[in-house]
Amino acid sequence: MLGEFEYLMLTAATRLGEDAYGAAIRQEIENATRHRCSIGALYTTLDRLEAKGFIKTRMGEPTPQRGGRPKRMVRITAKGIQAASDFYAAVTRVSRGVSWEANRAAVR
Amino acid sequence: MGGESSRGPMMTRVCWRLVDISSRILDPSEREAVRGDLVESGETSSQALREVLGLVVRRQAALWTHWQPWLSLMGLVVPLGMLLSIVSRRTAGESSVYIWMYANNWEWGDLGNAGFWHAFPETVALVFTRYLTLGCWSWTSGFVLGSVSRGIIRVNGALLCLMLSFGALLGAPLYLAYFSQYLHRAFGFPSLPDPNDPVFALRFYREMFPLIVQAVLVVGPSLWGMRQGVEVARLRPLLRTILWTAAIATLAVMVIQNPDLWLFMNTHRRPGIWDGWQIRLLQLVVYWPVGFLVASAIGRRWRGRIASI
Repeated sequence: MLGEFEYLMLTAATRLGEDAYGAAIRQEIENATRHRCSIGALYTTLDRLEAKGFIKTRMGEPTPQRGGRPKRMVRITAKGIQAASDFYAAVTRVSRGVSWEANRAAVR
Repeated sequence: MGGESSRGPMMTRVCWRLVDISSRILDPSEREAVRGDLVESGETSSQALREVLGLVVRRQAALWTHWQPWLSLMGLVVPLGMLLSIVSRRTAGESSVYIWMYANNWEWGDLGNAGFWHAFPETVALVFTRYLTLGCWSWTSGFVLGSVSRGIIRVNGALLCLMLSFGALLGAPLYLAYFSQYLHRAFGFPSLPDPNDPVFALRFYREMFPLIVQAVLVVGPSLWGMRQGVEVARLRPLLRTILWTAAIATLAVMVIQNPDLWLFMNTHRRPGIWDGWQIRLLQLVVYWPVGFLVASAIGRRWRGRIASI
């Protein structure tokens, strides 16, 4: 079963698609959680996800905006999509009927 | 790079310099990606330093979840650090007597004395040999440590320096004092004044000189040997085997020549054991780092010349 941060990263990578790389994923997570995302947590989790086969990473081309340094590009695999789906389904099932889920439905 | 608020330019430069230094511990590709991310996200220097240090700590901590770093710590860093501190303190103590004799009691009239010219070269040769031996032992210890702990070389280097500091300031002095008391008790040595008391009455020879010897002949060569040890994996297997054999023989000599071990092995009752050709040959092996470094330097120069043709 995925961890919550792993799920956030897989989701952010999926949303970003071809533009998924370290800094972009970090920005996406910070926007969603409204909390700072540390680079240490990001890159160690990237390694863990890649070791589990949920993502594949490669070094991209350097860009002037990054001081001529390359990006670590991220692509989610089919196994990663399945793992993220399973996590989302589990969270949805366990959240059914709880107060914050009901409040959210009422607000909608 | 990044927006700096009220932080002065000097502090900013220092922080970015620390970011550079600490990020070198990371893998090259990860270092470039992380530095690029910091530039792109516009982090301040202090934020960047926090982020890089956080990643470095996580990476190093992950290595220590395996048993190999702990084995190298308890099996190599701690015992070698302590042994080198004890040997260094002994070497400093022995050589300080000779240095005191000539430096603190110098008279220009001695230069006209034939006895001076008989004893002085012998003393210089003796002290130089002791210092060279200590340097080779230290270099070899670092070499062994560097070749078995490539992934955590910087952490092990810092731990070795910590162990050497502990040994120099506390461990070795306490150990040698206890060993001296043990000798007096076990062998019934009478409590006579030490003829070298005038030397160690001076604070320089008692406290500062051992630290200088440790810094110059142990810490420096150990760290140098560690850097060389990391490169050993690139050598051919036969050469690697030869170097490892020489390194192990050198460490064995260092342990064997520790007087405490003589007592445990009861070999003080068999003095002839240390005069055998095998021990003399082993003692020559101790100086293998000198040959290795000379051969490496010649090899590099030779390859440079061939490349320039």
